[in-house]
Amino acid sequence: MRINREDIERVAQLAALKVDEDTLATTTEQIGKILEYVSQLSALVDAAGPSDQVSSVWLGTDRPQAPRPDDVAPPDLHRPLEHFAPALRERLFLVPRLAMMEDE
Amino acid sequence: MSDIRARAREAADRIETDGRRLNAVLAFDRDGLLRQADAAAGRRQAPLAGVVIGVKDNIATLEYPTTCASRILEGYRSPYEATAVRRLKEAGALIACKTNLDEFAMGSSTEHSAYGRTLHPERPELVCGGSSGGSAALVAAGAVDAALGSETGGSVRQPAAFCGVVGVKPTYGRVSRYGLVAFGSSLDQIGVVARSVVMAANVLSVISGRDPNDATCADREPFRPPEFPRDLAGFTVGVPAEYFPRDLDPGIRAGCEQAKRALREAGASVREISLPNTRLAIPTYYIIAPAEASSNLARYDGARYGLRVAPPDGDVHAMFRATRGAGFGPEVRRRILVGTYVLSAGYYDAYYRKACAARALIAQDFTRAFQSGVDLILTPTTPTTAFRAGEKMDDPVAMYLADVFVCPANLAWLCAISVPAGRSNGLPVGVQLIGPQFGEARLFQAAAVLERALDAQAEVR
Amino acid sequence: MSWETVIGLEVHVQLKTRTKMFCACSTAFGDPPNTHVCPVCLGLPGALPRPNQGAVRLAVRAALALGCTVHRTSVFARKNYFYPDLPKGYQISQFERPLATNGQLSIGDKSIGITRLHLEEDAGKSLHDRFPQATAVDFNRCGVPLIEIVTEPDLRSPEEARRYLVALKQVLEYLEVSDCNMEEGSLRVDANLSVRRPGDPLGTKQEVKNMNSFAAVERALGKLRDQQIAALEAWQRDPQWKGGDSPISLTTFTARTGDLTPMRVKEESHDYRYFPEPDLPPLDLTWYDIDPEIERATLPELPAAKAARFATDYGLPAYDAGVLSATRSIADYFEAVVKAGVDGKEAANWVMGPVLQDANENAGVFRVPPQRLAALVQLVRQAAVSLQAAKQVFSVIASSNEDPQAAVERLGLLQVGDQDQLRTWIDSVLQAHPEERRRYQAGETKLLAFFMGQVMRASRGKADPKAAQELLRLTLDQK
Ligand SMILES: [Mg+2]
Ligand SMILES: [Zn+2]
Repeated sequence: MRINREDIERVAQLAALKVDEDTLATTTEQIGKILEYVSQLSALVDAAGPSDQVSSVWLGTDRPQAPRPDDVAPPDLHRPLEHFAPALRERLFLVPRLAMMEDE
Repeated sequence: MSDIRARAREAADRIETDGRRLNAVLAFDRDGLLRQADAAAGRRQAPLAGVVIGVKDNIATLEYPTTCASRILEGYRSPYEATAVRRLKEAGALIACKTNLDEFAMGSSTEHSAYGRTLHPERPELVCGGSSGGSAALVAAGAVDAALGSETGGSVRQPAAFCGVVGVKPTYGRVSRYGLVAFGSSLDQIGVVARSVVMAANVLSVISGRDPNDATCADREPFRPPEFPRDLAGFTVGVPAEYFPRDLDPGIRAGCEQAKRALREAGASVREISLPNTRLAIPTYYIIAPAEASSNLARYDGARYGLRVAPPDGDVHAMFRATRGAGFGPEVRRRILVGTYVLSAGYYDAYYRKACAARALIAQDFTRAFQSGVDLILTPTTPTTAFRAGEKMDDPVAMYLADVFVCPANLAWLCAISVPAGRSNGLPVGVQLIGPQFGEARLFQAAAVLERALDAQAEVR
Repeated sequence: MSWETVIGLEVHVQLKTRTKMFCACSTAFGDPPNTHVCPVCLGLPGALPRPNQGAVRLAVRAALALGCTVHRTSVFARKNYFYPDLPKGYQISQFERPLATNGQLSIGDKSIGITRLHLEEDAGKSLHDRFPQATAVDFNRCGVPLIEIVTEPDLRSPEEARRYLVALKQVLEYLEVSDCNMEEGSLRVDANLSVRRPGDPLGTKQEVKNMNSFAAVERALGKLRDQQIAALEAWQRDPQWKGGDSPISLTTFTARTGDLTPMRVKEESHDYRYFPEPDLPPLDLTWYDIDPEIERATLPELPAAKAARFATDYGLPAYDAGVLSATRSIADYFEAVVKAGVDGKEAANWVMGPVLQDANENAGVFRVPPQRLAALVQLVRQAAVSLQAAKQVFSVIASSNEDPQAAVERLGLLQVGDQDQLRTWIDSVLQAHPEERRRYQAGETKLLAFFMGQVMRASRGKADPKAAQELLRLTLDQK
């Protein structure tokens, strides 16, 4: 299976990543090599494997920590939002207007 | 003048000279360091009083920016700090500087930093390893006493081996990841680079232990450094055949042979074992890590913090694409694309699900080995000594293979350490010990014996 | 040949917790923007989710009440997409291993299958009209715990869909897991609908979102059904109609008040790339200290069971039992009145009449405490006050907070049953109407009503009618 420009464009769209026209060919080739390399797994591993792997987090026999009780606590924020927000007005984060307004 | 203040001044000088020369430092504040030293001089009984520590720049600090060596977080100052950093400060350690890394910890050479590569501390034309290259180089140069690094697939042990210092990756869940900028969440763990095994153990003891801010952190007391016995009577060390391929660098092989002899001389029994699924590790790793990364890095969109590139007349989605396209470097972009691809409709089963099954097989190999009576596993840390800068930059897969011996421990949620084992053609050789989950005590004990027995400066024989 | 309508519903319900799903920020509604935010719900670099035990417990209780199989181990998953109000670029939800599956909810005659119920986090709020050229985002709501409840395609009409929603809301309110307030967005409905000839496989579904009331859901679904049938029939008559392809395409409509507007949604945005959330271990209920059997045992009596019990225990008609169990507060009030000594049917009449009328006019508050209503009913039973007057007294004490007896006295509505007093009134009436008295005694007994009217008038309404009539007849029949 070979990766083509359309595959990369589709994936770049999903990843919200602008890929320049002039790097598209190189990118396609490199991603193709990486995918070709990792796809050797298909031949090496049976579909299921030894366990029904449903979560990638594994704590051995350890118990995870006690769950968080439903009590409000102050936020771990030691700088105001203005300090890191690229655009803030009346405490709202501003972004360029959404073209398709799927909300009301 | 107190020794703590004197050491801080010396460290500051070295950070400004060696640190700058090696391009190992992304942020430093001399006055801030000296102020911390003054405060620490008043509480000498604190466990790490006056110990000078560098922090990899993907770990959140209040005093310095946290950039992940990326344009997308240029100048970003975290409004909160990582649990590990907070604990170091509470223990009297001095947070000296932020260290260079491959962008978002994606790389094995610290060449993929948006702020320039870090040089090998002894041979500037070589790489220092990565992604925690800045941390390893600074420790090797003696500028800091220890440094925090982070591991997703060997990013502490591999540069430690290249630079001739100790690098430890704790068991997954040993150290809180709160404040560690996520790359591959199921693999990530904060690790320690130090010039001695004992220092590494002491730093780990401070940063480890349960933390309600990380649900994947184990519900355990902090790690307690063990007694360091002079011998290893009763230890069984397994040596997996799969880690010694025919084309293994002869110097590396010799380093491992020397380590084996040292372990036997210390009373350990050393025997060959098999980890048959080892060959699955790199392809598995390069599916799981990019998949998780593609999702973990989705938050860098220019909306709430960091870089924003908004094309005129473009809507918010245009801003997302432009910001991310301009803010991420080539390797990060590649991994996001690969990760997005392997999770996308129609490919998930063939890639991600397969990789999870392979990961379980890899972990099972280790479980079986440890169940068969092996306490620790000895392997080379890297297939070669430090390579030339630029050598693997155009061949991502070749770069990935630099992690072939280190990434299985991440995939299997184990603890592992790299210890200097002498030199090959003048360059440091590291050997690796891998332990079972939460088996750090024996790991450090054996590492300390190797450290004492092996001359890190001498050529391997 | 007729058409069959097939509807499935996905309902998102905000859980009534103090804190968000994955951080300790408050879930309070209506505060200034971005006041309940922290590194976790802003998606800052390095922040990690911390699941809320209280939210998990509420979700388990909801699942049990809906007859679901609750799984001891379920798995959080990431749903990846880019949107300005989604700070991490993914929503933490559940996918392959949801919290609960395979439930059902009865809507009277019929049982509606529930495919799954899972936990997830809400997104922030995007405001598109606040500033020119900009979308403004408030993350106060971001991370509020939700359960998503998905039905089987079991609903066969828009009217059934509405009935399902009413029943679902009733159950969730009984459980006190959610406010279920559609205006505040704590209950949101996505619907899908297709039509087919009976016996045919399922047709192409179309989706409707953003309805602001159950009535709007019913209305939108009715329009969508009619629209699909009209298109399919036109296509059947002329297979070349609109190019010859099926006229039903995968379209999503928005329908705030029930009018359908197609939404433009990019196709690739549906590839959500779900995968297990690597920042969270599997959700193991034992580790959350939640035992589904204990939760089941502490569930409140649910609406259907309560209505059935009211019908048998108090001999009420099904309709009355339904009204009295419509909400937990009505049912609790009704039962408190019964417990205070009022007969079931009598209590039902009072609650369904004056009590609910007064509550509806006063924001649902039951202004007369059950004990006090019982005391008033007791006065009627003792004939100290007429039923008519008692209803008048009820509205008075609802606002004055008076003791019923005192109010009756103050208003002069006390009924007189005292024989001597009654005799005085009766005697005066008989004296004033000798001719009628003669006619009565001659056999014109229907004049009793006339005399009663006169007695009531003489007593200015205070005479206990029952006692007065008895004494009147006795007196008339004596001579
Ligand atoms: Mg949902
Ligand atoms: Zn929060």
